[in-house]
Amino acid sequence: MTTSETAYHRLSSVPSPPVLSVEDVRVTLGRGLHRARILDGVSLTVERGETVGLIGETGSGKTTLARTILGLTPVSGGRVLVDGEDVTRLGRRKRRALRRRGVVQYVFQDPLKSLDPDLTIGESLTEPLLLQGVPGDEARERALRFLGRVHLDEQLLDRLPGRLSGGQRQRVAVARALVTEPDVVILDEPVSALDAANRVQVLSILQELKAAGIALLFVSHDLGSVAGVADRIAVLHRGEVVEVGTTRDVVTNPSHPYTQLLLRSAPTLRSASADRAERAALRARLTA
Amino acid sequence: MVRRVLTLPSGRVAVGVLLAVGLLALVGPLLAPQDPLATTTDALARPSVQHWLGTDSLGRDVLSRLLDGSRVSVVGSLEVVVIALVVGVVPGILSVQLGRVFEWASLRIVDTLIALPFLLFAVAVTALLGNGITQAMVVTGVLVSPLFFRVSRAATLAVARSAYVEAAVISGASVTWVARRHLWSKVLPPIAVAFAQTLGVGFVIVSSLTFLGIGVQPPAPTWGGLLATSLGFLDQQPWAPIAPAALIVATVWASNLLADAIRDVTGEAGRDLLDRRTRRSATAPSLSRTGGTP
Repeated sequence: MTTSETAYHRLSSVPSPPVLSVEDVRVTLGRGLHRARILDGVSLTVERGETVGLIGETGSGKTTLARTILGLTPVSGGRVLVDGEDVTRLGRRKRRALRRRGVVQYVFQDPLKSLDPDLTIGESLTEPLLLQGVPGDEARERALRFLGRVHLDEQLLDRLPGRLSGGQRQRVAVARALVTEPDVVILDEPVSALDAANRVQVLSILQELKAAGIALLFVSHDLGSVAGVADRIAVLHRGEVVEVGTTRDVVTNPSHPYTQLLLRSAPTLRSASADRAERAALRARLTA
Repeated sequence: MVRRVLTLPSGRVAVGVLLAVGLLALVGPLLAPQDPLATTTDALARPSVQHWLGTDSLGRDVLSRLLDGSRVSVVGSLEVVVIALVVGVVPGILSVQLGRVFEWASLRIVDTLIALPFLLFAVAVTALLGNGITQAMVVTGVLVSPLFFRVSRAATLAVARSAYVEAAVISGASVTWVARRHLWSKVLPPIAVAFAQTLGVGFVIVSSLTFLGIGVQPPAPTWGGLLATSLGFLDQQPWAPIAPAALIVATVWASNLLADAIRDVTGEAGRDLLDRRTRRSATAPSLSRTGGTP
């Protein structure tokens, strides 16, 4: 969908389908004795221009859900709709054609590993555009523009990723996700590997993207980072969405014990002295 | 990569020696001062103006035989490496890309090839297909191919499961695109190293086979054959093995030196070299506006 179409949907009273919709998705991985259900009936929607935070502890299935949306992990049941189109059972060619449109983009958890060490930043940034058939000069021009959008100097375009700091690499990864002007960007723990200063910088870039009307699915274990950006929060626990609500509701009035535990466990100066017995009781309720 | 190899002194020496060997293979037989097969009564002669490297037990000029045999020795070694390369690399890469059935089948075939005793297999196949240089080199190439299979498979596995390949796939990259843009640059260096090392091994194998009478048949000269013959007369001509051995050692050494140079200009060190150059070639170097030098 183009920018003007997005604007039309925003202004008109005609309800547009969610840009991303996950319906009763189940994912089972492994074989034999190692077979395990990673996602169990997960449903989630991301509206146009909306930022949804997906939080949960390590192993709760956050990354698997992100990979399932991108078609990197096959579903065992349910479906994923992008712009109202079921992408779950697309053939290889159709899926590739859809991917080349660049509607959904992904920012990996580890920016160093997501950038080819042998390609310059310019080559990595232009790759999605070249795949769309954009001519080389124009692709470089656009890469330059998006590098500026994540507040990076144009001289980095000819550098190799190994020569960049962690924060610079993560911003390059965000720029690469943006060059195709996607409708929705999935960010997998985009700030968890960064120091405080870089974290603030990346989060402010995400705020800018949100203001620009790009839908974001912000995957993280850190409720604090997500709460500052997200409109809604979905809580994932052992492969199930246990709570969905507006950020205010989830943070101020969590209904599920797991969400309550997450809030109590948030590493703030105040929570450092929080009641340990209370957290232990919540943990016991969850286990039960 | 060739340019980067040539920036290293060891790379230049290796390429120089290998080019000299290649040139010898090309024009060596033409430069032979005498007929390499012609026998004379002047057997086991010392080096002289007429016979620079002396004569062998049948009175044949050793220098002429050495020059004439260079083509068969070099071409034979190259044949081994090229066959091993084709038979090993293609299935090695495809074993990662084509799914579990092909992967399982190719791994079992490679395990079988590794388990085969080399000389016994070479003798059996030449007995079956006839004794000739091509048969011997094909057998050797096939038996050496597991090295290329494993090297290319390992490199492909590391790249195919990397996040940057997934990033390309998410953007709609095809298998061909991934191979050309991401895979090739990572798989090529270890294959080039294996190629250079196997070139040396191929030389030794060709020489060993000739030594055993497999492949090249007497009286056709090869470096390995000359070395084998000269060892029989060590008490009368202690200098005789030096020339053929020196040529074999120089070629194997240069191949290994080239392999080391390729390894040095690729991987982390190679990337640093490329990055230093990229930055040096920048016309107006300045610090990043946002973060400066990391």
